[in-house]
Amino acid sequence: MERRDFIKLSALTAGAAGLAGCGNPDHQLIRFLPEENLIPGVASWRPSLCPLCAAGCGVLARVMEGDAEVVRDGRTGLLKMGLVKKLEGNPAHPVSRGKLCARGQAAVQLAYHPDRIQQPLKRRGERGAGEFEPVDWDEALGTLAAWLKEVLAGDPSGLAWLSRPLRGGRRALVERFLAAAGASPPVYFELLDESVLRRANRLGFGREQLPTYVLGAANYLLSLNADFLGTWNSPVAQAIGFGEFRQGQPGRRGKFVQVETRVSQTGANADEWIPIRPGTEGALALALAHVLLNEKLRPAAAAGSAGAHIEGWSQGLPEWTPEKAETLTGIAADRIRRLARELVAHGPAVVIAGGAALAQTNGLATALAVNALNALLGSVGASGPVRFTPQWESTVPALPHRTLRALVQKILSQPDSPVKLLLLYEANPVFATPPAWQVAAALDRVPFLVSFGSFLDETNSRADLVLPDHTFLESWVDDVPESGTEQAVVSLAAPAMRPLHNTRALPDVLLELGRMLGGRVSEALPWGSYEEFLRVRFDALARQVGADPEEFWKRALEQGGWWSENGLVHTAAPQPARATSRLVRYQVAETDGAVEEFPFHFLPYASQAFYDGSTAHLPWLQELPDVLTTVMWGSWVELNPQTAERLGIRQGDMVEVASQHGTLQAPAVLSPGIAPDAVAMPIGQGHRTFTRYASGRGANPIAVLAPLEEPETGALAWAATRVRVRRVGAGRLVLFSGGLSRFPHAEER
Amino acid sequence: MRRQSLALNLFLAGTAVLLTLGLLLGRSDSAAVESGRARSASPVFTPERPTLRDAVRDFFGIRPEPEQQPIAFTHKVHAENRIDCTSYCHTGAGVGPVAGIPGVKQCLICHRTIATDRPEIQKIAAYEERGEDIPWQRVYGFPAPAHVKFYHAPHIRAGVDCSTCHGDVEQMTVAVRAVDLTMGFCVDCHRQRGASVECVACHY
Repeated sequence: MERRDFIKLSALTAGAAGLAGCGNPDHQLIRFLPEENLIPGVASWRPSLCPLCAAGCGVLARVMEGDAEVVRDGRTGLLKMGLVKKLEGNPAHPVSRGKLCARGQAAVQLAYHPDRIQQPLKRRGERGAGEFEPVDWDEALGTLAAWLKEVLAGDPSGLAWLSRPLRGGRRALVERFLAAAGASPPVYFELLDESVLRRANRLGFGREQLPTYVLGAANYLLSLNADFLGTWNSPVAQAIGFGEFRQGQPGRRGKFVQVETRVSQTGANADEWIPIRPGTEGALALALAHVLLNEKLRPAAAAGSAGAHIEGWSQGLPEWTPEKAETLTGIAADRIRRLARELVAHGPAVVIAGGAALAQTNGLATALAVNALNALLGSVGASGPVRFTPQWESTVPALPHRTLRALVQKILSQPDSPVKLLLLYEANPVFATPPAWQVAAALDRVPFLVSFGSFLDETNSRADLVLPDHTFLESWVDDVPESGTEQAVVSLAAPAMRPLHNTRALPDVLLELGRMLGGRVSEALPWGSYEEFLRVRFDALARQVGADPEEFWKRALEQGGWWSENGLVHTAAPQPARATSRLVRYQVAETDGAVEEFPFHFLPYASQAFYDGSTAHLPWLQELPDVLTTVMWGSWVELNPQTAERLGIRQGDMVEVASQHGTLQAPAVLSPGIAPDAVAMPIGQGHRTFTRYASGRGANPIAVLAPLEEPETGALAWAATRVRVRRVGAGRLVLFSGGLSRFPHAEER
Repeated sequence: MRRQSLALNLFLAGTAVLLTLGLLLGRSDSAAVESGRARSASPVFTPERPTLRDAVRDFFGIRPEPEQQPIAFTHKVHAENRIDCTSYCHTGAGVGPVAGIPGVKQCLICHRTIATDRPEIQKIAAYEERGEDIPWQRVYGFPAPAHVKFYHAPHIRAGVDCSTCHGDVEQMTVAVRAVDLTMGFCVDCHRQRGASVECVACHY
């Protein structure tokens, strides 16, 4: 092409661009009178809290004047107002320390999502059809109050609550509301809820709580399947700690060994990566302890109460020789011996178990073995890397999976559901539970469902009434992080911006409902607003730490909460380690499906972008290429190249994954970092109803899972299903680039 | 080669005709503003301009004519009454990057009682009644492709008179662009005053 032609073409393109911008006069928006006085172009940073996972990172929101397209009194127009444009970690906050993960960065899209529910809705069509019509708040609240009155006048236990696990003021308020009404205690549900690890910590250390790993204090790190840099526990705090572990101590660089079945993002950072058979992590931990005890590297008593739960601990675990572990785990006995010696020689060492390692029927035994190993290594407590965040109040949800199943059984137990009115808030169990749990069928039996959600998903699209909550940026938020820091933390933030739409904050709606109900409920909830309620809570905290309440509140609002600076405040006394007469015996993990018929172990994993699927509606996260495979806008099945060759599957081919409980289809990604007898799949896609960005995209691995559970806690063993795989045709895979090309440490077994 | 060029020329000519038509025939802004109709409730983002004319003018960076402004505001009268530029109306200029255009609220601080019988003032009151702000048409500003940032406050602090860049607004009624803010114009002044002429001083 000649230069002249190029210039002409450029002009043409420019002309076309100009024309593309034409439209009709209806698109001229009116401007509403602004309610705020802001200096245009000048940003202010206001504290807030990331709501997207249980880590509870403190964030700073960049607020600037902008034009928001809003509806006021039925008219659409532009409103000049302070808008949150960007989120960053809050440098003062002890959990996030100025950092934020990809999901946190995308949280700002919650507020501006085009499919956000902008006003109360009433169901119009069939239940589940997702057809709604707008109603005003008076009518919506009136309808709900009438239902509440009717249910509470009869049997109050007909009122039930189902949400994600709540903490802080929201939890206190919800539980107060339900208790005053005489309803059954709230049911909290989250797929990746870690109650196995909490229970193990209670048995071993007397703290029913997730641990905090101070990785900067460690020199050797052995992780069993925990994706602690990506999605597990408190990933931002752990990633900062990992940086200190590697580079924080002059002249020292900690060694990191990852043991897992599939290379995770965290595993890709390891110095040594060791493949293991799924569900045998506990056997490895016991064999490591066996070597330490038998080579007299550490005394058995060093493990204290954590060791007391393990059968044969005081005798030095005679049964758990590295040779026995080799037959179970597939890791060579000599390698196990070397690892055990390294744990002592290169201490302080810490062993972390999480993710698929604990999502097994023997998950509790594995967690207890790892706890005992940590205790044996002297890694737990004030001097070691394993610590517990001091808690102001108990935040333990009561075994979420078991309580949800109990609720479902209660509803289905009688032809006429004993639960008459179910309140739903930020939980999506229809998507995130195996079909055998029958959550959808149970919800459809409840006469009246009310949701406080901001988006229509598989669960709340069944609701009869939707009373949309503000997003976190528009409401008063508070939190009590369970892990991720050694300081006691109670986070707090005022709204960072005014509400964009005709929504109301859930706590304020509950207070309003209390007033409408009158009687016991309104007596139990005497506060005019949630702000007032939080103020009362913080005044109590101020008295407890001996501060002036006024100053305390002001300072908490400025910095994003309160945290102990010198000396920790333990206000919730740790429960004594429970001395069970029953010793926990390690048993081989159960799987669902015969090996002959279902030759592959199916490993779902928390996705870096979508976590458990609750953030799949945010387009930035759909656009985010997966760290290892670089896949975006879809889901995929990871297969070992040898397996794929045997089955005649090439990269990108559509494969069918079938278990005893369901089938799904997704394109194949060939990854040398997965065992030949396992297939892995990220959780998060495959939503049927979840805004324009996630609906009908990809496949949901939870839909093929077997309802196996860890017996002690009732937690779903989501990594215990076996499947078969076959090619069904050509597929489509959107890759950013490249992928994982080489199997790490292929030479050493 | 020749045929290809001919085809290109034809395309170009066609586009030019369309652009001219757009400039001449499109509805003016004020007409659309007056209609004040609400947008169809489509939540999808669109780069559409209200009219073809707007799209073309926008593309070429052509600024609005005085009659397109919703209120026939007179700078002259306000300046004669010694109302300082940055103290009451363009309050952002002294403290931030953007000078800002006053809305209904600022106008009515004085005009709730002053000159309430004038038709233009009554128009402002009518806006307030409807709960709307004044849809001023922007006169100054750089198009996004220029990749230049301008921060008012340091210029005000350095004592640069408003008229240096905005012309003799004190004598104008409705503001029109009197000075062409080219890069040469900026750099000349920066050289004269010994201000930075580094690229990143403005292009960042």
